[in-house]
Amino acid sequence: MLLHDLLFRLRTLMRRPAVETELEDELRFHLERQTDKYVKSGMSEAEAFRRARLEFGGLDQVKNECREARGLSLAESLVQDFHYSASTLLHSPAFTACAVLTLALGIGANTAIFSVVNTVLLNPLPYPNPQELLAARQNESLANLKDMQRQTHSFASSGGVNISPMDFTGNGEPVRVHGAWVDAGLLETLGVQPMLGHWISADEDVKGGARNVVLSYPFWRDFLGGDPHVLGRAIRLSDQTYTVIGVMPRNFTLPRELADVFVSLWAAYPEAAPERGVHFMHTYWRLKPGATLAQAQAEIAQADHRLAEAFPDTERERGTVLMPLHERLVGDVRPALLILFGAVGLVLLIACANFAMLLMARAVTRQRELMIRASLGARNSRLIRQRLTESTLLALVGGAAGLISAKAGTTLLLALKPEELHRLDAIPVDARVFLFVFAISLLTGLLFGLLPAWSASCGDIAEALRENARTTATGVSRSPLRSFLVTAELALALILLAGAGLLIKGFLRLRSVDPGFNPANVITMYLQLPGTRYPQIQLQTNFRRELLARINAFPGAEAAMISDLPLAGNFVGHRLVVEGQPTPAMGSEPLVQVLSVMGDYHGVMQIPIRAGRDFSEMDREGQPRVAIVNETFVRQLLPGQNPIGSRINWARADDPNDWMTIVGITADVKHSGLNQPVDPAIYTPFSQNDEAWRKFMTLVIRTRVPAAALVEDVKKQVWTMDSQIPLSSIQAMDDLLAVSVAQQRFNVLLLGSFAVLAVALAGVGIYGMVAYRVNQRTHEIGVYIALGAQHGDVLRLVMKDGVKLGLLGIVLGLAGALALTRLMVSLLFEVKPTDPATMSGVALLLGAVAVLACYIPARQALSIDPMTALRRE
Amino acid sequence: MPSRSIDLPQGTLDLLILRTLSLEPLHGWAVSERIQQISSDVLRVQQGSLYPALHRLERRGWIKARWGISENNRKAKFYELTKAGRRQLEIEQDSWQKLTAAVSQILGTA
Repeated sequence: MLLHDLLFRLRTLMRRPAVETELEDELRFHLERQTDKYVKSGMSEAEAFRRARLEFGGLDQVKNECREARGLSLAESLVQDFHYSASTLLHSPAFTACAVLTLALGIGANTAIFSVVNTVLLNPLPYPNPQELLAARQNESLANLKDMQRQTHSFASSGGVNISPMDFTGNGEPVRVHGAWVDAGLLETLGVQPMLGHWISADEDVKGGARNVVLSYPFWRDFLGGDPHVLGRAIRLSDQTYTVIGVMPRNFTLPRELADVFVSLWAAYPEAAPERGVHFMHTYWRLKPGATLAQAQAEIAQADHRLAEAFPDTERERGTVLMPLHERLVGDVRPALLILFGAVGLVLLIACANFAMLLMARAVTRQRELMIRASLGARNSRLIRQRLTESTLLALVGGAAGLISAKAGTTLLLALKPEELHRLDAIPVDARVFLFVFAISLLTGLLFGLLPAWSASCGDIAEALRENARTTATGVSRSPLRSFLVTAELALALILLAGAGLLIKGFLRLRSVDPGFNPANVITMYLQLPGTRYPQIQLQTNFRRELLARINAFPGAEAAMISDLPLAGNFVGHRLVVEGQPTPAMGSEPLVQVLSVMGDYHGVMQIPIRAGRDFSEMDREGQPRVAIVNETFVRQLLPGQNPIGSRINWARADDPNDWMTIVGITADVKHSGLNQPVDPAIYTPFSQNDEAWRKFMTLVIRTRVPAAALVEDVKKQVWTMDSQIPLSSIQAMDDLLAVSVAQQRFNVLLLGSFAVLAVALAGVGIYGMVAYRVNQRTHEIGVYIALGAQHGDVLRLVMKDGVKLGLLGIVLGLAGALALTRLMVSLLFEVKPTDPATMSGVALLLGAVAVLACYIPARQALSIDPMTALRRE
Repeated sequence: MPSRSIDLPQGTLDLLILRTLSLEPLHGWAVSERIQQISSDVLRVQQGSLYPALHRLERRGWIKARWGISENNRKAKFYELTKAGRRQLEIEQDSWQKLTAAVSQILGTA
């Protein structure tokens, strides 16, 4: 029925000229027939025609009614309305600019955030049939992965990858690149083919298999000049020669990892490949068509159980969790993004409230025109429709302007993006974003245009007319809609302000967390010794000792090194046993962070020693093994025991009687992040290292000379000792600290700027309302002043309503904030979502803004000259 | 014009048009003639108001129009009932009869 109606109207509209002629023909036929009839009954031709016309009624009116009956007039009058709106808007540029700007801010901010939501949360992963892809929450060893592959049937394929630094040499300065150590199933799982050549095959991916490498597109382009005949070429990676067998397509990336070169784990690290206990691969799984996540999870649980029984020493605590790959990737940022999206939606609502108030004010200034049109017979529905056309037109222009400002906004967002959004290298404005902008613009225009139009037709205009006529001395405009809008926007602004306040407070708390070391003036850099030239621990120790001696010889530099730097995201975990304590079951010994150091590490980082002593030159190879533990270690693992002198050893150590003696206790260091709890940790001297694979180290250098010069000197020293070792991750400890809170800073900056925008818009809204009322009541205020009212009286009179509404809005907003800030609890650090100090602080702040916004127009009321005001009558 | 003719009650024009067209397809003038003849000139249909009603019914899909040749050999627009129109006619006839029955009962007992 509705469809028929629409199609009918559309057809009519499209064959408009034909319809018009047909109508003409049809009515003429009727008149001729009727005239004929009267002629036959004996009238003269002229008399008959006159009679027929008379009976028929107004021809033009009938035609019009017919057009209307066909639904034609609606479409036509829309076009008319559009023309009319466009020209009237162009004639009031100030109003148009205000309205468009207000909406552009609201819609622009929304569009920017929606573009991010669209790209991160809504866009599918860049792999075929992405809904079949799963990722495991835990890392896995290759041996376990192979067993799990054999024991499950829900998967079409699966694969694993570990990212490790590799040194690319033979091309000028040695470069550290990201090596992806993979198993052959990885690419089949992701469903992508190399652009050139082929991927590592299953028979290459075995012990002693060919040393082949597949290149990423950027690596191929930047380091090998995009050589089209690259296949078969030999390149040097970490002191080994690899043959290039493939190049990946340009837009290919691994789901979570950055990779420059792809090599088989068996080729890159044959020692680790068979190690069941070394869980260091990210694993990806592709479901068979028709298989469900639940089936897969059940199969994996069975495989876990079998592995735990077969290998209790390393696999006792298994509990593999599979989840859709998309969720694995965005799960961490989803809450923050959704909250930001919600917040920016509130900003739009406030902008819309201002927009509606602008439209209302305009309606009043145009009342004369509207009255004339109404008295000329324009129907109410037509007047409303005309105003809706105008507001929709404004909203669409505002939306277009918003789209442009959103483009600038997304550029800014990209510059601020935290680590978690690393996939976000571009925020494309695609069809979905366009549709979003169009939809919210249209909705804004219709909905918030309808509000004032509707309220006007319900009597607000009539009231305004009365006001303007100044027939009543007490004629005070208390438009309920306007009051409602002002109250609502203050309430919304308060909610946003409360959210931002909580985030800021949490962020300040986070920033004031003592990391346990002093990051100022410390520069760090990472290097790794190639296993081919430094296979034995002694060679590694000699290199380290020599390097530290050379750097410490620089004036004003204090250097030390550690295996894994705090806040850098890594550590080696080992299980250990304490002498004299009952031995726990195999595989459930306490797990601690193991950090190897050399030089005066605690001194350079200014980590206080709480008890005992620091390492000395004497704690070296051939000497009794020593360790320093942190306070958490003491608290958790040595309760009621004198820690100094206690002895510990690795669980299931090669020599169970070769104990390490605890010689000191250090303060806790926030190794895994400022918002993370401290794990028990032990420090051991690099020179007493018993694992040859620990070939990496990070230099920490406290210096007062400019970092850039120092870095060059350090590089020179390293390359004097070995020209093939790249230095990488060169960064100040301060920067590392800042990066570690980038996600929180991102949230604070975004929500903070939304709150500022919201408060500004709400301030403008309440200002506009008071200014409008002052303007409407000039006469009354003039009389009041003429009767001797003091400044205070006038201010009170004018500000009363605005302040009252402002306070009401703030109270409602507090209630709303208390209800809504619960949603952001996962984003807050050590701040309750109902934090009373924050709540009262933002309420006061917004209250001050509201009073100020009322005061500025009220000041103008003071300057009203009673004589002028009365003469205006 | 006969002085005893009465104006058409609101909303009954549609019913009359549908009823008239249910016998055969007609053009607009013939519809107005037919209504007046059958009602023995008691009902007076303002001729002009007939056409908006026809166009409205066409839009609703109850009648459809095609151009044909009239009895006096002229091009004329003929209207005929659609299936939906026939259903609508039954509904309206039914409710009209209920209404008039109820009204005459009230008038009869009053």
